[in-house]
Amino acid sequence: MSRPVLEVSDLSIAFGGLRAVDQVTFAAERHRITTVIGPNGAGKSTLFNMISGALKPLSGTVLIDGVDMTGAAPERLKGAGLSRSFQITNLFFELTVAENLRLAAQVLEPAKRALLPIRCSTRAQAKTQAMLERFELTHKRDELAGNLSHGDQRRLEIAVCLASEPKILLLDEPTQGMSHQDTADTAKLVRSLTQDVSVLLIEHDIGLVMELSDHVVVMHQGRKLAEGPPAAVRADPQVQAAYFGHA
Amino acid sequence: MLDRLTLSMRASHVLAALLVVAALVLAVVGSAIGDTFYLRLATEALIFAGLALSVDLLLGYSGALSLGQALYFGIGAYTSALVLMKVPSFWLAMGAAAGMTFVCAIIGGLIANRVRGVYFALITFGLAQVVAKVVYNIRDLGASDGMIGIPVIDIGIGPFSVSAGNPVGFFLVVLVIIMALYAATAYLLDTPFGRVLTALKANEKRVPFLGYSVWRARMVCYLAAALIAGLSGALYPMLRGFVSPELMFFMTSGNAVISVILGGVGTLVGALYGSVFLVIIKSVIGSWTDHYLIIIGLLFMAGVLFMPKGLIGFVRPHVERMIAPRHLRETRAPEQDAPLKAEEVKP
Ligand SMILES: Nc1ncnc2c1ncn2[C@@H]1O[C@H](COP(=O)(O)OP(=O)(O)OP(=O)(O)O)[C@@H](O)[C@H]1O
Ligand SMILES: [Mg+2]
Repeated sequence: MSRPVLEVSDLSIAFGGLRAVDQVTFAAERHRITTVIGPNGAGKSTLFNMISGALKPLSGTVLIDGVDMTGAAPERLKGAGLSRSFQITNLFFELTVAENLRLAAQVLEPAKRALLPIRCSTRAQAKTQAMLERFELTHKRDELAGNLSHGDQRRLEIAVCLASEPKILLLDEPTQGMSHQDTADTAKLVRSLTQDVSVLLIEHDIGLVMELSDHVVVMHQGRKLAEGPPAAVRADPQVQAAYFGHA
Repeated sequence: MLDRLTLSMRASHVLAALLVVAALVLAVVGSAIGDTFYLRLATEALIFAGLALSVDLLLGYSGALSLGQALYFGIGAYTSALVLMKVPSFWLAMGAAAGMTFVCAIIGGLIANRVRGVYFALITFGLAQVVAKVVYNIRDLGASDGMIGIPVIDIGIGPFSVSAGNPVGFFLVVLVIIMALYAATAYLLDTPFGRVLTALKANEKRVPFLGYSVWRARMVCYLAAALIAGLSGALYPMLRGFVSPELMFFMTSGNAVISVILGGVGTLVGALYGSVFLVIIKSVIGSWTDHYLIIIGLLFMAGVLFMPKGLIGFVRPHVERMIAPRHLRETRAPEQDAPLKAEEVKP
């Protein structure tokens, strides 16, 4: 088996006295969906923030493709092949759908094209078009992202993350606030992503977690409580007490 | 495929072409009737339009308000004046002004780009005030009087030569240079790098997660804006024959910001129109009353209240509609939507 695409070990951070993430260790395998679950405030988003360079960890390491990227700036992590979405929709609301995608796809172009007219970046343009089609947003390409429905915005956010052709994709509650139908569609979409990328997911909908995940990491009060295949994790009495007990 | 930002830029070009036509008409009429006053006034308006252009590049595209852009205008003007007193060469003066501005802007940029928002505005303001006060006290630079007696130069362009003392000739030279600066800025904004600047303005916190260094983009933008201001400033002593510390004072920076707001933030060509408008208003009202600043203040407030997108911000969507291909004609122009504020990234 090849080396995991993402290896996190002993990652910790504290806010004031609060150990928001406390010595968390896990790995995400290639072309698999690894899901992080846990009650509100368990530290899931904070864990994502440390992996994606939004926060510098207090201690621990993050390896991407075996390379130490601990505490690297987000733009460097992007170069290493990591892409992330946000729990609260985070797009360029004043720019069009196509422009949101084009900005993300531009990193596929050689750096020298940055100072040539935009139409010379043909690869970024082709990628934008492909993303619009794959995510069924072609007819909305010239709409402002801020004018899209919530469901479309969440989908665009995934498309933006994917447009840079990452190795590993971090999705923070992609189905949050979605209708039942949109949630089901998104689940199907996320499943189809594993052809190209490895996915690290945060998800609250337990049904979805069981259906989608190859591997589940359970967090509780900043610590890793358990990990394993979905069924095994669900059967774990500790997990039941801490997490499913509340559900 | 043509997109909205490129379309807006093209609409700006149509309006810029209109401005050039108006300028050429002025040049023809002015030379026919042997006018000096209005041609020199228009030349000054264009020079300050360059400064306004640099403010709009920062504010209208990357979203950074500089309250001290006159710093680089002044550095350009003083460098140009110093060179011209030694060697009366137009190109040498422009080259030296560009080099000096660039070096100073690296230092200024390293300081100002450590912060953003209101703090950026305050730092740029402070930097300009400090340097202006230093210049004000350096005797070799003429101290508070500035430097006078800058020779009238001949500008060699290939086989031709134009005297800076010739009102029509110099007006046309300045027109060409300012429009070249406009064209260069417009070019920059329609590149992938330029689009990163618009992304910065729309939602800066998202930009690093797309793989772009925010610091680098802001720095390049700051340097480009400083160069535009410096090159414009370099023209000033050629027109007036003197430079003074007032060129770096807040009044000059503030006027540039007012020009941009009156003309339309983020339209580029609005900076040019706004500046021309402001210079005309000032001289027309100034000839009636000494209290013209009151009237300009009132006009500015009325402009902000009743035409918040500025003159060009108001006109441009109509131009866009005229030149838009069909697929962009149906949807609403971005200008007409209240911009949604980007959600904060959860830290
Ligand atoms: N920047 C911050 N400053 C201070 N405390 C923070 C910060 N970010 C997160 N926290 C705290 O850290 C803890 C973990 O928060 P986090 O957002 O990671 O939880 P989560 O598992 O993503 O929860 P949810 O399911 O609600 O999204 C919470 O107690 C939160 O209040
Ligand atoms: Mg969260």
